[in-house]
Amino acid sequence: MDLFFQTLLNGLLQSGIYALVASGLALAVGVVGIVNFAHGEFLMIGAFLAWGLSTYLGVDPLLSLPLAAASVFAVGALTYRVSIRHVLLAPELNQMLLTFGLGILLQNLALMLLGGNTRTVTTTYQGSSISLGELSVGGPKLIAFGFAVAILAGLYAVLYRTTLGRQMRAVAQNRRGSQLIGINVDRVYLIAFGVSCGLAAVAGVLVAVLLFASPTVGLVFALKAFAIIVMAGLGNLTGVLWASVVLGVSEALVQTYVPGGGGWSDAVFFLLIFATLVFRSFRGAR
Amino acid sequence: MSRVIEATRTVSRRPDFTGRAFVPLALFFLLALAFPFLPLGARAEYLLQIAFFTVVAGVLALSWDILARSGQVSLAHAAFYGLGAYGFALLSKAVPWFLAMPLAALIAGLVSLILGAVTMRLSGMYFAIATLAFTEVVRTVIQNLPESVAGGANGLLVPALLGGNARAQYFLALAVLLLTALVSLAVRFTRLHHAFAAIRQGEETARVLGVSIVRYKLLAFFISSFLAALGGVLFAGKTFFINPLETFSLANSIAPLTTSIFGGLYTTLGPILGATVLRVAEEILHNYIKNGYLVVYGLVLMLSILWLPRGLMGLFRKGKRGGEL
Repeated sequence: MDLFFQTLLNGLLQSGIYALVASGLALAVGVVGIVNFAHGEFLMIGAFLAWGLSTYLGVDPLLSLPLAAASVFAVGALTYRVSIRHVLLAPELNQMLLTFGLGILLQNLALMLLGGNTRTVTTTYQGSSISLGELSVGGPKLIAFGFAVAILAGLYAVLYRTTLGRQMRAVAQNRRGSQLIGINVDRVYLIAFGVSCGLAAVAGVLVAVLLFASPTVGLVFALKAFAIIVMAGLGNLTGVLWASVVLGVSEALVQTYVPGGGGWSDAVFFLLIFATLVFRSFRGAR
Repeated sequence: MSRVIEATRTVSRRPDFTGRAFVPLALFFLLALAFPFLPLGARAEYLLQIAFFTVVAGVLALSWDILARSGQVSLAHAAFYGLGAYGFALLSKAVPWFLAMPLAALIAGLVSLILGAVTMRLSGMYFAIATLAFTEVVRTVIQNLPESVAGGANGLLVPALLGGNARAQYFLALAVLLLTALVSLAVRFTRLHHAFAAIRQGEETARVLGVSIVRYKLLAFFISSFLAALGGVLFAGKTFFINPLETFSLANSIAPLTTSIFGGLYTTLGPILGATVLRVAEEILHNYIKNGYLVVYGLVLMLSILWLPRGLMGLFRKGKRGGEL
């Protein structure tokens, strides 16, 4: 039974980061209407920022969170201004290709400048763990989860309690209607895309602490984020949270209980998405 | 009534069917056929290898494009490419290569019918994600099969195609590309073209017009993945070695997509041209920049989308409506 609860706990902790990455992507897809295939690369930038600051300046990765968020927000806003903005009315395919191109560009820029090695960040709390009765939790995991929850709480407070947040949700629901009632849609897009990238970067900092930083670290998280937002429904900003928990926990369950589970967890994960999608389509929701 | 349909068919057909449109395509194949006989100098072997992989890239891009014409923007191409490669590797233990090749493609085609049936009612982004998920599932299944069956994560050795004769392999690849191009032309100049285009432009309308959506969507899937699997066979037979991570990588799904868009969507020449330009550019870049040579590739893609949204084919057909080849 302890094993079961330990598994649940691990899954829940893992879902914190998933939710961070996915809520960022949900903003890009839901509000701006752009399927951002470069989302993982913004995560990668965050991870490298954390690594660089910690290695060269001795800054604790968690202190570099605000800096990573702010600078990648700026990068995202700039990206929107010079590229995304010009394909908003283009066919979906062109938008996808543009963000693919951006992803390839960023990933290989990192590869060119930093090489393909994985870089780890060392912190004082790396090996620490906290035990709750029979259960034990790694310190970094718990800290990362705490930060993820705090940041998500902040995000949803903005989305549901401020004018900007209401504007974002309005645009996500109906962009023409929002325009008609006087919302500056272009500005909302700019901010939403910047925030989306900033969230990915924040997740990247946490990933650097938990795993490592490398040019390709973003891909896995981006794929899972896609899965999550699809499960939640495109444009659904709140559904992302429970979808992340469902996926994190089910992944952990498979890892623990299926023999050779490490290898199968990805397949079950994607099978779940596949099933959701098919179920949705046959129920008529598209 | 049937006379009306007949009439509209002839009307809509005639402007497409000009011999002149075939000239660039025929020219390409003549050049490609002559390529191994050109005085290539000391680097002939290397150049022939690039040409081989360019042709395979062309097969993948064009087969992807055929599926895209029916409005299904798939990210599952790597799955069928990989199924072709694995099918060939496993089948060629039992049967000669010329049987293993079509059989592997047939298996991939049949699997694609399952995917097609399941994703039938999905559209746009949902469809793309479902196909992406499908690829991951196929990869994980193959990776986790017992090692004695499919080699697991370590991969499989594959018998070399045609005894490893580079020139013969190149001509075989070219034959597959020619087959793909002929299929593409067949789709372009029959009723299929109108059916696919109608489905792409509006499924509801197409249904009202009497187009059997199920049949045509599945047909597109079958044709496309059959050809993609042939590409996978070529790849496996050239490199002697396949592993799940590389064969089913996302890059193999994205490359045909970018190539088609860069070259010109819904055309026959476009994807082939795109594959040639992009593969050669990639190779040149690779020689100049070792690490991260794809930087420029990504930049080119972004710039071409921003300034060349209709692809390379758009350059030649300014203002001309339709009639793409």
